[in-house]
Order: sequence, then C-alpha cells, then structure tokens
Amino acid sequence: MTRRFFAVLIPIALAMPLAAQTKATWTPPKTPWGDPDLQGQWPAVANIPMQRPASFGTRAFLTDEELTQREQQAQRQQESDNEAFAKNGQSVTINPPSYWQERQKPNRQASLVVDPPNGRIPPMTPEGQKFVQSLRGGLGPGQHFPDKVDSWEDFDIYSRCITRGLVSSMLPTIYNFGNQIVQAPGFVVIRNEMIHEARVIPLDGRPHVGSGIRSYMGDPRGHWEGNTLVVETINFNDQTGAGGGFFSDAAKVTERFTRVAQDELSYDLTIDDPKTWTRSWTIHMPYRLDPSYNIYEYACHEGNYMMLDSLEAARQLEKEGKSTRVDRGAAGGPPPGNQNQ
Amino acid sequence: MRLKGDDRMLRKMPAALVLTAALAMSVPLWAHHAFQAEFDDKKPVHLVGKVTKMEWINPHAWIHIDVTESDGKVTSWMVECGSPNIMLRRGFTKESLEFGSEIVVEGYRAKNGSNRANGSSVTFKDGRRLFVGGSNPDIPAEFRQ
Repeated sequence: MTRRFFAVLIPIALAMPLAAQTKATWTPPKTPWGDPDLQGQWPAVANIPMQRPASFGTRAFLTDEELTQREQQAQRQQESDNEAFAKNGQSVTINPPSYWQERQKPNRQASLVVDPPNGRIPPMTPEGQKFVQSLRGGLGPGQHFPDKVDSWEDFDIYSRCITRGLVSSMLPTIYNFGNQIVQAPGFVVIRNEMIHEARVIPLDGRPHVGSGIRSYMGDPRGHWEGNTLVVETINFNDQTGAGGGFFSDAAKVTERFTRVAQDELSYDLTIDDPKTWTRSWTIHMPYRLDPSYNIYEYACHEGNYMMLDSLEAARQLEKEGKSTRVDRGAAGGPPPGNQNQ
Repeated sequence: MRLKGDDRMLRKMPAALVLTAALAMSVPLWAHHAFQAEFDDKKPVHLVGKVTKMEWINPHAWIHIDVTESDGKVTSWMVECGSPNIMLRRGFTKESLEFGSEIVVEGYRAKNGSNRANGSSVTFKDGRRLFVGGSNPDIPAEFRQ
C-alpha cells in the first residue's frame, strides 16, 4: 500500500514546476486594473542544456562540483571574449569569432526538459517521424547548416529570418536573449528579441479562431489562475515545432508564467501533441528581471546576405561544373541538423 | 588570452569530463549563418584597408574598406561583423571606428567571388582588436564557436 502510494506521489512531485517546489508564497505586485504585474525585461541569463545526459537519470540538478566546473569554463570564455589585443601567430578559422556571441551563466538546473523525469524529450511517434522525413521531398527539414544549397528551402526557417517558432523563441540561443512582457487590460504582449516576435495574447475569454486558420506562432488565449498567467496556444502550421519534431494539427502548447520573486519569473511550457510525440513534455526556464536590458530591433531579413551569397555561390559552382556540396567538416562545422530545438 | 594555470589543467582533463561539460552547454552554439555555405575555406584573405562606411544592419553589420593593392589599384571590400545588437551591448559606438581608420582583416572570401569576407580577426595596426573578444580562445575544441 505504502509503496503504491509513493509510486504515485513521487512522479507528481517531480512533475511539479521547479519553482513551485522551491519558492513559497510571494505576492507579486498588481497592475492598476488588478492583474498580477509581470511586466518588464526578462532576458534569459541561465545556460541550461535542452536535455540532460542519459547518465544523469532522474537527477535534475548539477552537483556542486559540476556547477563549479562549468562556472570555471564560463569564466575562461568570458576572459577570452574580453581580449583586447590580438595574440601573435593566432590561427584564424572560417568560423565566426567568439565575441559575436552573448553568453549566459551556468545554472544548477541540469536540463530545460523537466518532464519526463529523465529530462529527455520523449520519442516521436511513427507518424511524427514520417512527417519529418517527408519534408523537402524526402530529405527531411531544411537545415541551419545545409550540405547543399539548391534552394532557400534547404535552410531552416530560422536561417531564413522567418521565425524560431513558439517554443524556441522563448528559449535563449546564440545572442539576443531579450524577452519583454507588456500588459494592458485584457491583453498580454510577449516580445522576443531574436527574430523580433511580438505575441498579442487576449485574456478576455474569446474563443480560438477556426481550425482552418493556422500560423507559425499559433493562436494564443490566456487566463489567470491565481497569480499565474496561463497561455494555451493551438492552430500551429506544420513548419515549427521543437526537439526536431514538427507540430501536427493536434498540437497544444500550454505556458505558465509565475512571478515568484521581484526579480524572478518561473516559466513552464508543456507540449501536447499526441500525433508527434509519444507523451507530453515540459520545459522549465527561470527568467531574471533586468530593467537595464534593451531590446533592439532585429530586422533579420533586411541584410541577410548569407542567403544571397550562398545561393549565388552554388549556382556559380554549377556553371563551372564543380561540386556544390557544402563541406562542413573541413572547416570544423557542426553536424547536420536543423535548429528546431 | 594569456595561457593560465587553469587552462593547462583543462587540457589534462579526462576526455569524458570534457565531453560532459560540452553536453552541458546550452543548445545551439553556432552563429546564425551557415558560414561554410557562404564563405570559402580555401580562399583565406589578408586585407589591409581604410574604413569608408559602416552598415549597421541585421542580422550582421558590415564594415566597408578600401584596399590599395601593390599596383595602386583600389578595391572595395565588405567585412562581416556580429549582430548590431551585440555590438551595441558590448559598447561599440560610432566613435569606435572612424572613417579612414586602417584595419587589418584576416578572414575568408565569399564563395560567390564577390569582395565580401567574414572578419574572423579584425584589428588595428597596433594589434588592438577592433572589437573586444578573442577569436581563438585556449579552451577545448568542443567549446569553440
């Protein structure tokens, strides 16, 4: 009896949002119209991998030793980023220099994925896998680092400056970690600096738009559960997703925003898409208030010479009868794959 | 970056430990762009030129320079920089780079044959970097950008 009781209780405890387990009762300020006030600049400051290594099992946090090791590495990187003088004999690679990036701090949280309890994205369904394989005439999704450039569609939609999709847009990447929440009576707006997203979320209980109207960021509706803003989004098109999978017409993303301290916003995002994944899964991200953070415009498409240069180069090589295959390996590039987290 | 004791230690770290650390890094580490599709790693360029224009555009800023070749011919080149957002946050302003400044660029030419290059290393003639930051830090390859 006791064993069965704990068998039920423990998974429930593990599935609870991390912040809910660690933060007690802090009452957030209210807007003039009485909603919990979540407004402000909430850049991502934590460096947390999407999934944790399988060897971690259900261990959700780093040990002191592991955290220290990552902090030391981050310190070395910081020193390198701040280098002011060139080093003699320094080699130059085709990859961009490190100062092109912004970085976050190591965090004790071992993975963004907190449910399933092993911190791993659940397997895709056969239907989900089949859809991914069907893209680009059977080649799979467009890639961030394509091995051929026959078309702009060989690039993923992030490289094409379209969007990173709802899930990725809330997660940090190589730079532009800014997120801003703006509230008005009946609405919440969430801005993401990378690829300049601005989601306008109605809170007035209106129904979702018809199922025939689909978009990259989906159709969001929000409501308050106590001090938590709950946003449910459906009606995604089939071009965004997460973890290598793409949303089906059954996908629902549920986000929970809770201001658990003056300067901390607890964020949980749950993906339910039974056509794509074998079970639902949840990401947790702790955001930190930084009023000094400025979101600058990121009009990504205006100067995206990369697309023009890459397409032109491939066509030129074709005319010369040379191979157009992009050799990432020689330049130390990353393995194939799209950036659909 | 000067070699420090802890860097030497790091090189002696067991491979498994380095791998664990690499896995711990946050998701995509690479730049926005597919560099290998745009630039030719077989065509390194060494350019010494004077700044004529700065384009503060997204997703990456571009410095325009005039390079005087040995026969006196002047050729215009464009050198890719980081995102304007990053550069602003790092304190790069219009005073940081004056027109007419001479800079040295080590990089790779665009595959399409245009006079565009990625600026893997952009320095003033006295060795100061144009931007803060190191292009080849003394850290394991897994962490290099």
